[in-house]
Amino acid sequence: MKLSNEKPGFIMILASLLVMAITVYVLFDNQHQNREKLAQEQGLGLARLMSSISWSQLSTGPGQMSLLELFRQGQSNPDFAYGVIVDVNAQVQSEVTARGIIVPVASLPAEPLSWLNQRIVEGLDGHSKFIESHAPLFQNGELRGFVRLGYIKPQLDFSYAQMPFIATLTLPIFLLTPLFYFFLRQEMKPLRKINESIDKLTKGQLAQSVELTPSSEMSQFMERFNQFIDFTQARMQQLNAEQSDLVTSGKLLSYKNSKVESILQTMPEAILVIDKAGVVSYANQKIHSLLGLDPVDVINKKPHEWCKTAEVINILSGSHNKGAAITISSAAISSDQSGQDKKLDVRTYPLFAPTDDSKLLGRLVVIRDITEQHFEQQRQGEFVAQIAHELKTPLNVLSMYSESLLDDELVSEKHRIEAANVIHDEVERLSSLIQNLLSITKYELGGLLIERQRVRILDFLQDVFDNLIKSDRVKGVRFEIDLPREMSALFIDKALMRIAINNLMTNAIKYNKPGGLVTLEARESEHYIDISVLDEGYGISQQDQQHIFDKFFRSEDNNIREQTGHGLGLSLTQQIVQLHQGELSVKSTLGTGSQFRIRLDKDKDSMAGN
Amino acid sequence: MKKIMLVDDEMHVLRIMKLSLEKQGYDITTFNNGQVAFDALQQGWPDVLITDIQMPRMTGEELCKNIELKYPERSFLIIVLTSRTEIEHREWSAKINNLQFLEKPVSMRNLISKLADYFAQH
Repeated sequence: MKLSNEKPGFIMILASLLVMAITVYVLFDNQHQNREKLAQEQGLGLARLMSSISWSQLSTGPGQMSLLELFRQGQSNPDFAYGVIVDVNAQVQSEVTARGIIVPVASLPAEPLSWLNQRIVEGLDGHSKFIESHAPLFQNGELRGFVRLGYIKPQLDFSYAQMPFIATLTLPIFLLTPLFYFFLRQEMKPLRKINESIDKLTKGQLAQSVELTPSSEMSQFMERFNQFIDFTQARMQQLNAEQSDLVTSGKLLSYKNSKVESILQTMPEAILVIDKAGVVSYANQKIHSLLGLDPVDVINKKPHEWCKTAEVINILSGSHNKGAAITISSAAISSDQSGQDKKLDVRTYPLFAPTDDSKLLGRLVVIRDITEQHFEQQRQGEFVAQIAHELKTPLNVLSMYSESLLDDELVSEKHRIEAANVIHDEVERLSSLIQNLLSITKYELGGLLIERQRVRILDFLQDVFDNLIKSDRVKGVRFEIDLPREMSALFIDKALMRIAINNLMTNAIKYNKPGGLVTLEARESEHYIDISVLDEGYGISQQDQQHIFDKFFRSEDNNIREQTGHGLGLSLTQQIVQLHQGELSVKSTLGTGSQFRIRLDKDKDSMAGN
Repeated sequence: MKKIMLVDDEMHVLRIMKLSLEKQGYDITTFNNGQVAFDALQQGWPDVLITDIQMPRMTGEELCKNIELKYPERSFLIIVLTSRTEIEHREWSAKINNLQFLEKPVSMRNLISKLADYFAQH
């Protein structure tokens, strides 16, 4: 137990001691004053009484039972010290004294006014004091002497004899004090517990209800206090729970917020939120790449402040949609930075309050870059038109020649042979075109599957070469094949690779000069097998070299234009080489000729072939 | 004898058309691209010009536009052979008068009767 907890105890003991001391002092002081008062009153009264008695009656000779002696004997006051009759010359006429008392010498007053008086007289021993009353004595109206009556002036002092009395006096106090203290302590105990409880409460710990002392007078207060504690505690727990709920929901909210923000930023579309006043309140980063503007350039602004395209402003400022309607529109915006025209798809959607479908908060604007799709659509359109053209051209020839065969007048033997040849050639051309088209379409749809098998490259190339020079397509060109003595076998799709090499050889024949050389060549190095087709034709300009692998690309060059072609051969060849994880490259000089090279990786090939 | 100019980069087409139309008694000259045909117009106009569209050097479309520019007073008919539909050429052809389209594959009988009708009126 802490010393500070016992402080009231100490104070109480000190206080009780003080009370005892004061009580004793006051008691003695009172006693002493009473004695002094009694001595004064008795002395003065007796002196006045004796003053009325005549001098002769009082001044008796020594040894006689005088009146004075009678007074002394009648005196019950234990403080009585002496009684003296003196003449006017202060000579003692008679005296009586208490045991052990010597009458002190004192002068007598001369003034009649102070004849009857009282005074303090010092004893001969120097420390005792007497209360002396004196009165004049007369004989026939003439002053003859004085009577002096002395009482011991009581002193304030303790003697051991008084101890039992003091003890008796203080014992009840002494006994009551601890009793009271323990009682008080018992009463204080719940208070201390309350104190501790409050301490705990303020420190945020859980406090316990204070145990009730059944006999306690404070029990009602304690009960109330316990209720208060319980209530406070419950309230604190509730507040804590509410706070942790708040923190959790705050965290959840900020997590959700950042999740939504990250989703909005990651979306491929530019997102704008325009409030009811027509001011942009949110924009994601994508507007930078789409419109060439940063979100800070548009937020808190109206569309016409940053957008240059009237059509887009119309859509954004809502003149296109009335309230809830969804607007779908697209417009070209000239971007500041690239200067390129972009095809944009701008859509606005009404934003309703989550809880109230009828309350419009603003509009969500989604801007998509559809430039690529637009070009792709254009390319698709051109592709279809090109196919139509390429198919209809041979069909046109077929139609005309077959029709001519029906015409009797035209059908000479020579014409019939010519017609049959033309028809045959055109059918072959159609067939090859359709084959290439199918392959390309299949490839683009991901359906052109490569079926590898182990192929002896040397034999394969020789076979492709032999088949080609036997065909009808060969007109006025020379051929050469240049192969090493030995070559590795490769895992390739024989049918596809034949189409690829055939396309290159056909081009080399078609676009060669009259009498030019077409060479099929193969080389093997540590990692690669290179298959090259060389011609001595017109060559391909640098500009055209960038496009020759594009679908349907046809050079503007007249020498090339004079040859029939559908612009699919090189595109397909490249796709076939890519399927083999190889590389198709071209080297060409205008007027000298071209070299197309297929490079196949032996390592990739063997892995893929297994 | 009515003069007809044939413009096509397909050798076979030129041959068979020339053969067929000569049988009908027309005077046929052939050109294998737009440019040579356009140049030849300086020497004199035909009664009808029949042209393909996709050709090297000068396409049929360019040929028509160039003729319209250079010879706004032109009196001859132009027949364009196309592998597309007439509608697809509407944009550029709308500004050119006296122009007809014939979709491929072309039936020579159709062409011959078309020519006969035209010449009957002109």
